[in-house]
Parts: sequence; structure tokens; C-alpha cells
Amino acid sequence: MLAKLIVYCAYYLKSADWYRRAKLFFYDLLENSHSRKKKYFDATMICLLILSVIFLIYDIEHEDSKMGGYFELAILMVFIVEYLIRGWIYSDTYKVIIEEYEKALYLNLDFKLLGVFRKAFVRDIEYITSPFAIIDILAILPSYRPLAILRIFIIFRLFKLFRYSNSAKLFADALASKRFELMTLLIFTCFLVFIASVSIYMFEYQAPDSGIHNLFDAFYWTIVTLATVGFGDITPQTTGGRWVTIFLILASLGVLSFFTSILIAAFSEKMLSVRESRTYAELDRYDNFIIICGFGRVGQEIARHLHNDRQKFLVIDRVSARIDLAKKRGYLAIESDASNNEVLINAGICRGASAILCITGDDVINVYVTLTSRHLNKNLRIISRANRHDNVNKLYQAGADNVIRPFEIAGLLAAEFVGQPVAFEAISGILHNQTETVMESVLVSEKSPLDNQKIGQLDLQQRKLTLLGVISDNPIHLKHKNKYQVNQQHFYFNPEVDFILRHGDMLVLLGRKYGIDHFRDQVEQRRLFSRQPK
Amino acid sequence: MKNIAVFGYNRLSFEAISRLDKELYQITVIDHDPVKAALARENGFETANIDFRSDDDLKLIGIGAHIDTLFCFFDTDSENVFLTLSARALDKALNIVAIVDSPESAEKLIAAGANKIIDPYEICGRKIHDMLKRPDINDIFDHTVFGRHDLHLAEVTIPENSYLENAHVTQLHLSSQYNLILIGIVNKQVSEQMHFVAEEFDRRLSVGDILVILGPSREIRAFKKDVENEFCKI
Repeated sequence: MLAKLIVYCAYYLKSADWYRRAKLFFYDLLENSHSRKKKYFDATMICLLILSVIFLIYDIEHEDSKMGGYFELAILMVFIVEYLIRGWIYSDTYKVIIEEYEKALYLNLDFKLLGVFRKAFVRDIEYITSPFAIIDILAILPSYRPLAILRIFIIFRLFKLFRYSNSAKLFADALASKRFELMTLLIFTCFLVFIASVSIYMFEYQAPDSGIHNLFDAFYWTIVTLATVGFGDITPQTTGGRWVTIFLILASLGVLSFFTSILIAAFSEKMLSVRESRTYAELDRYDNFIIICGFGRVGQEIARHLHNDRQKFLVIDRVSARIDLAKKRGYLAIESDASNNEVLINAGICRGASAILCITGDDVINVYVTLTSRHLNKNLRIISRANRHDNVNKLYQAGADNVIRPFEIAGLLAAEFVGQPVAFEAISGILHNQTETVMESVLVSEKSPLDNQKIGQLDLQQRKLTLLGVISDNPIHLKHKNKYQVNQQHFYFNPEVDFILRHGDMLVLLGRKYGIDHFRDQVEQRRLFSRQPK
Repeated sequence: MKNIAVFGYNRLSFEAISRLDKELYQITVIDHDPVKAALARENGFETANIDFRSDDDLKLIGIGAHIDTLFCFFDTDSENVFLTLSARALDKALNIVAIVDSPESAEKLIAAGANKIIDPYEICGRKIHDMLKRPDINDIFDHTVFGRHDLHLAEVTIPENSYLENAHVTQLHLSSQYNLILIGIVNKQVSEQMHFVAEEFDRRLSVGDILVILGPSREIRAFKKDVENEFCKI
């Protein structure tokens, strides 16, 4: 009967929307490192922790302060609730129950509650013994009055900072990566301390005026000497004791320099990934950024333009000199291999990236990165560079939206320059935005005064604008001639005066920048004005 | 018939010369690498085996004489600068087009006397930027300048005795009569600069003016033919 009730509850929770949403909310708050909520939560917790330690210090001098007590209680509540919720989202007990129940049903076995509880319990133990959970418990326990002796452990609350701060975690990781070296050093140091303590104890114990009266004194002296601190409160009196001191000092110099070198090596090794993760963390804040794979001449040129547009982008290149250059120019950059799935995922290809540019000088890499990106994200815009003509189709097959051939374009411009220098200069001026005259598109939006209007009524000549054509995907225009297929749309070149515009169409205009802007503004104003009376 | 000397046979020069009309241009390809020169011959281009470092050799192929345009398409900037300098010394009126590899070489090439510098990487970079920022306009450019469809830019010079002589710009009605769009006009008497027709007030055309038009090639041909015709009605 009880088993039935529990299984029923489990199924209810599985289907309950509020339960799922609550769990998701707390997951975002506590564990999801990409969520904004977690950042605020972490910051709040850090403040609380620091405050609690400040109150602890205050309490030492003012034993009967009441405020401290209330605050302590509040913090404790927060910590306990946090601890329990973390335990709750660590595992899904109802899933275990359902799984066991369905298994039992399938195999025609009896559904045993005991087995389920055992499994759930194992998961709970797993959580309780995880390092962070232990730190959490250490932060809670000292507040329990009967365990007042543990109050000193409140200071351990600071370890909780590791939970909320990435840099502290990186520090710990750096040390952890040198575990073997540190272990070796520790064993050696233990031997040294043991030998030195015992030796000095043997020589000095019976000497008159010696400060060493027991083994702990000897140990204390050894540590003070080993650390090159040397308070001088205990000094060796016998010749034997002085020889021990000499050897200990020489050995301790080696130990300390070895220790320092391990630390430096660990941090310099970690530095690269620290920088990388900082870059990723910064990217997390953006949506709609562009990934540039390859920072050669083409990449640099694009980066310069994008930087001017204040468009966010990330540069990935394998050559460290290029990454240094990118960083020097203030771009986000990662020294890595873009053909690696993990690198692209970390770079946010499935999250915030709107486009990826595969523009290295090597077609093999371009094809590979294109394929990888398309595989990871179906909707991403991919622009690739083909250095050889034969590879254009391969890039399209790999999933590129646009393929660009630098040498072909340059060759074509050279030919154009020879054939028609005037037209070439004019058009390349427009193309490069070097002249005052620009080519821009104006959208005919819904309820716009342009909607349902004939081209002849637009009075473009008066506005000193030249209409080159209309881009539209509206099938109503298909009867007109002079249409050119452009992707999924048609470009209607030189439309007749009785061409009727529909919303969604785009006028391609040539004229001064401010002339086009003025036209666009007027259209927009009239659209807003005409809607007001309603 | 124009004569073009192309120095350096590579992807870029191949693209450039295959775009040029064989009937209008006499092209000679020169490369100091015999393998590339052989490849050019295989592809049907006329080649010459000369050393570009020697002025006598340059004169031999006609620089300073019948060559109108020089393409300096070597892979290294130093060679292009050297060639530009030598050629400019031989012929002041030569039209020199050079490519650059590193951006700082552009100034050197201009100083050496090149008329036009082409930086393939810069162009490619701009183009990709355009693809991202204004894809529609970029597409239109692809269809016109880069000729994916039959829409072309063309220059039409007004010859003597043309019916267009003394005609007003507004009288042209190119868009209704020919399905062409008039982009701009170069008034040869004033400057080489093109004026966009949209901002130009109505003016009279004179002999030597250049009309820059955009449209399908059939219409361009028809217009060019009519322009030369004295008796064509407006």
C-alpha cells in the first residue's frame, strides 16, 4: 500500500510542471554557471560570508551583543536551506523510484521499497561526502551551541568562498595539478623535520641553558629554522646542536626554493587556461557574436571592421603570435584549434554565436571547421574562404552558407579596372563606403505609407535618389520581368513605374547617405503618425 | 586592341585574364618559373620568356612601346615594386596594376608609380564584413560587379556626331527605353571624377562624356549601338 502511494507520488512529481520549474529555478540559481541568477546569488553569499566572519570577530570582544546573535541565526538558516536544496537538486529520487518500479514491472518481480531506498540513500551519501558539501556542513556545524568549542571553525566558512568564486577554484586547481611534486616534497620535508627534531633533542636536552625541554620544543625549533624565520628564542648551545643547525639551514634553503619553483610552474601552466576561461566568461555575457577562425590578413581586416562597428567577436587561431597581435588590439582571442569540437562549444557556437567565419589560408582546415560547425549548429551562418577553385563545392557540401574566393574577387576587380576604370572606381567607392554616395536598402514595413504604392509615385528623383531595384519574396511580383533569383528572393531590376510595392519588399537605393536616411526617417514618421488616430 | 603584359602566373592573374575579352585584349603572360609559364601556355595564353630584372628584356616585349597595361602579379612585394619601378621609368603613360601581399607595401608601390593597388586580403575582408552587415546589398553587388547574373556595369563614351550630343540628361529615359539605369556621368572637360546622376542637376551632354550604366548585356549592346548612330531618334 505504502509502495503504491510512493510510486503514485513519484509519477505525480514527474508530470508536475511546478515541480520541474522549481527544480530548474534552483538549478539555475545554484549550479548553472551560465545563468545570470547564479552570479547574483554567488555575490550575495560572498557578502553574507564576509559579514558572518566580521560578526565573529566582533563577538570575541563583545560577548553579549544581541545583533550578532540574530544575524548569526539568519545566516545559519540561509546556509541550512542552501545545503538542503543542493542535496535536493543533486539527485532525482522520483526518477529512481519510477525506474525501479518499471524495471520490476517489466521483469514481473515484486517492487521492493527497500532496494529503492538503498539506491536513493547511496546518492545522498555521495552528495554528503562530496568536498563542497563537507565544507558547507563545516560552515553550519560551529553555530550549534553545544558544540561551542567548534566556534573557531566558523573561520572555515571562508572555504565556502571556493563555491562562489572561480578564481579561488583555479588556485586550488593549480595546486592540485602539481599533486605529485608537492607530495614528494612533503615526504622529504617530513623526514627532514623528523631527523632534525630528534637530533637537536638528543644534543640539547641535557645541555645547561638549553631551551629544549621536550620533543615539542625540538619540533617547534626545527620548523622555525626550516622556514628561515629563526626567532632566536631557542638557540643551540652544544657543538653537535650547531652542526645540526647548519645542515638544517642548508637543507631548508633547498626545500623552500623547490617549493617556490613548483608553485610558479603550476601557476604559469594554469595561466593559459585561466585566460582562456576568462575569455569564455566574457563571451557568456554576449549574444549574437561572431567567431573568426583564422587571424591572417583576411581575419585582421574583418576584425578591424567589426571592431569599428562595435560588433562582438572572438578570434581563434593556432599561431600564438597572431593571438598576441589580436590581444594587443583589444580583441577577444583564444589560442586553440578551431577544428576541435570542444573549442567551438566553449566558444559558444550553440549559445550566443550568430555566425562563424572559416577564413584560414588552408582549405582543408576551412572545410573541416565548416563541417564541424554545421554539425554542431544547424542554424548558424557560416561563411568560408576557398583558396582554390575546386574546393568551393566541397565547402558548400560541408554546410557553408557563403563561400568567398579572395583571389577570384581580386582578379575580377583587376579585370574590371582595366576594362572600365571609371565605373570601377565609382562602384568600389560605394562598395568600400569611401564616397558620400552609398547603396542601401529601405524596407517597406507593414502599414508603411510605401505599402501598396506605385514606384512612380515615390518621387525619388526629387529626393536625389536612384532606385536600382526591389528585393522581394512576394510571389505577387513574379509577373514582372527583369527578375533575378537572389537566394530565396527575387531582385527586380529597374522596376516599371506601375510596380506596386508590398510590405516586406526592400528598395535598393543609391544616393547620399543622409538622403537615404532622411527618406527612411520620413517614411517611418508618416507610418507612426498615420497610426496615431486609431 | 589593347595590349596587356601579365607578370606572374597564379590564381589571381588567371582569374583576371580569363575575365578579359580575348577579342579586345592581346595578353602576354610572363613568369620566371618555367613550370608556371608552361601551365600558362597549356591554358592557351601567349607567354614570353624574359627576365623582368633587365630593362632590355622589358623593352623587348613592348613596354615603352605597344603595351598599354601592366599587371604586376608576382607573389612577393619586392618583385612587384621592382617591376613597377622599371616599367614606370620606361613608359610614363603605362597603366600599372599591382597586387600587394603586406599592407605596408602599398605605399611603396604607389611611390614606385603604380596606378592601382589591389590587396586581395583587404578586399576579401571587406566583402565578408559586407556579407555580415548588409547581406542584401552584398548580393546585389555579387550580381552586378561580380557578374553572377546577367547584370553589368558598362561605360559608354559619347562619340562625335552621336544623337546624344547636346541632349539633356533628363531626356535620356534610359530606364523606360532600354531597361538600363544611368548611374553616373564623367564630364571629361571638367575632371575624371564620376558624378552620380541622382544628385546632378539637369545638364547637357557633350562629346567625350562617359555614361556609366547598369543593366543586362543585351540592352547595353543595343544602347551602345544606338549611341554611335547619328540619326537615332530620342
